[in-house]
Amino acid sequence: MSVIRQSDPKAWTAVDDTEYEAYCKERGIDPEEYTTMELLCIAAARQTYDFSFIFAGTGLPMIGCMMAQHTYAPNALIIMEAGILDPKLLEVPISVSEARGGYMCSTLSNMADTFGTFAQRGFCTFGMLGGAECDKYGNLNSTAMGGYYSKSARDDGKTGPAVRFAGSGGANNIASYADVGLAMMVQEKRRFPEVNEYVTSCTGSRGPLGSDEDRYHKGLFRGSGTTIVSDLCIFRSSPETGELQMAEIYPGVEEQLVRDNVSWELQTAKDFKPFAAPAYEEIKIARMVCDPNRIYLGRKTKRELAAEK
Amino acid sequence: MAEATIPTFMRGKDKIMSLSDAVKTFIKPGTCICPGGFSYTKKPFALAREVIRQDIGNLFITMNGGASICEFWCAAGLVKLLDTTYIGLEGIQPVAYSVRRSIQDGTVDVEDYSNYGFGLRTVAGRYGWPFAPLMSEFGTSFMDHDTFGKMGLRGKKADGSWIHPSIAPARAAVIEDPFDGWGLRPHAFEGGDATSNQTNFLDQVRESTAYTGNKGVKCILVPPILPEVTIILAQRVGEKGTTRIEGIWGPDNEQAISAKNCIVQAEKIVTEEELRAQPYSNTIAMQYIDAIVQVPYGGFPGQVPYYYDYDWDFWRAYTQINRKDKAEVNKYIRDWVMEDEWTFLATRPGDGYPTITGTKGLERLFELRADALYGYRPGLARPL
Repeated sequence: MSVIRQSDPKAWTAVDDTEYEAYCKERGIDPEEYTTMELLCIAAARQTYDFSFIFAGTGLPMIGCMMAQHTYAPNALIIMEAGILDPKLLEVPISVSEARGGYMCSTLSNMADTFGTFAQRGFCTFGMLGGAECDKYGNLNSTAMGGYYSKSARDDGKTGPAVRFAGSGGANNIASYADVGLAMMVQEKRRFPEVNEYVTSCTGSRGPLGSDEDRYHKGLFRGSGTTIVSDLCIFRSSPETGELQMAEIYPGVEEQLVRDNVSWELQTAKDFKPFAAPAYEEIKIARMVCDPNRIYLGRKTKRELAAEK
Repeated sequence: MAEATIPTFMRGKDKIMSLSDAVKTFIKPGTCICPGGFSYTKKPFALAREVIRQDIGNLFITMNGGASICEFWCAAGLVKLLDTTYIGLEGIQPVAYSVRRSIQDGTVDVEDYSNYGFGLRTVAGRYGWPFAPLMSEFGTSFMDHDTFGKMGLRGKKADGSWIHPSIAPARAAVIEDPFDGWGLRPHAFEGGDATSNQTNFLDQVRESTAYTGNKGVKCILVPPILPEVTIILAQRVGEKGTTRIEGIWGPDNEQAISAKNCIVQAEKIVTEEELRAQPYSNTIAMQYIDAIVQVPYGGFPGQVPYYYDYDWDFWRAYTQINRKDKAEVNKYIRDWVMEDEWTFLATRPGDGYPTITGTKGLERLFELRADALYGYRPGLARPL
């Protein structure tokens, strides 16, 4: 697929440098140094493309899609599952249903209608998600670990799953209908198993491409691969096999660290390249336009907290 | 026909009830209840609090659209069964802690659907359809997990009646699309389709034998939701039940119409004429509403578009509290709701958690009023 991106920072949402420097000073943060959450937000925005329909899930995608709209994809339309089409986001929403997310949108309807009128009908080109677990073929688990079933439905004597996550929400549907998927995740080995014990959403090929286990042979008629934006690197589905491969690596991250934090023999993509460090202009927009309160950007990953110690 | 009695939904003005009476009349232990709204928006919290005050337990919650009410009910130990899609509190707490804990420790049994799967169930419920067609969930664990089935809650009893009137005999079914994928987009129009999606792998899908053993395009059928009671919040409701929801509808219209009975919590009860002057803006017809309860600001600590914003500081504080010991959280929530809603609204806003202005009660509520141009309160302080 050929894609258009607005790569000229002059065309992005304008923010005054002096104001930005003052903001950073007040908060005691370096204007050019970025945190992991800022990196995730910027890396996700770089994957989007202009004139696309970005169907954004809750959590990190809220800020990822907002960043995209103020930089690389100014004409992209955002869809939020509670009923929102094409809002102009002034303040980052904390929910896919809140009034901040609906500001100046084209239409406002309901959940079934959003998935029907936009996703099923054919206007969900770019799916942006979060997930708890991701396997070799880009399947996300956002439901449970340690056995899905709750007490009365299981027979191993346990009271329920070891860890219960939020569940699909709209993730399964966005992953099923989007031409391309993207998931933003924190990378730990246990969260990147070879095969997920529970599959909530198929963002990638599901199984080896061309086999009975791929997404099409299970009945899904759309989707052509996924991009996983982790806090160490960017994975993409191989167009030949469907397997996730290391496509870009962040500055200062050793390849071995990426390999140590997945549970399969990780291949490197043919077009592998280093990821260019987030630029001043990008960090500025992430902070000043998208999330000045640092609701998402102020969060720290386990890896960051460990590094601080 | 037998001798005519006036159906309850035709009662007119006597649909207007006190909060306490509405809950007492329609919600009993074990009732299958469907809470409306979505996460922090337009959640009928006053009704939810009254359920806690009346200590109505063993509830069966069928819901879509965020777990905030379910979180409070799980914290109070009132939930037994959960038929849902998502148990998070979105940007504030990725998984609602009391719900998570209840599922992990065996207090609550849960059945999962995707949002569109559940959304289509509400559409089927709204239209009185036997099922609705779904083209996602294929290839995932939804297809081979069925909690209620494993619990023996599906199907019929020996006497031919349903084991549970609000649980379908199957979680879902797969059929072969009799139209061979003809209707799916992008479609093979002369010169291609004008829709935005580019990918269409129907040729490969037609080769698939998954789920039925036969080649061809498959379609999942999901059953309607048939809750006993739906509770919703609407900004304005006419005295006979004509309802107008402003801002995001979320799943409310479908869920209200799917249910046997619906209680609407109104910011304001108005004359029918006020709403019927612009009937195209009304979202639920009068006969689906069985009880109307007027509770201005009753959506606190949530947001009601064009009326007031959510209380960010409350949620930040609450999501620390709900991680404490289970008994302590239970005590907290039962204490938090106080003896009645008016005392609650005059006391609890701004009480027991830090806010920038330090205002409390009605003054705090006043501070959260929305700006009509935005539908929320621009610049609301939301410190992490």
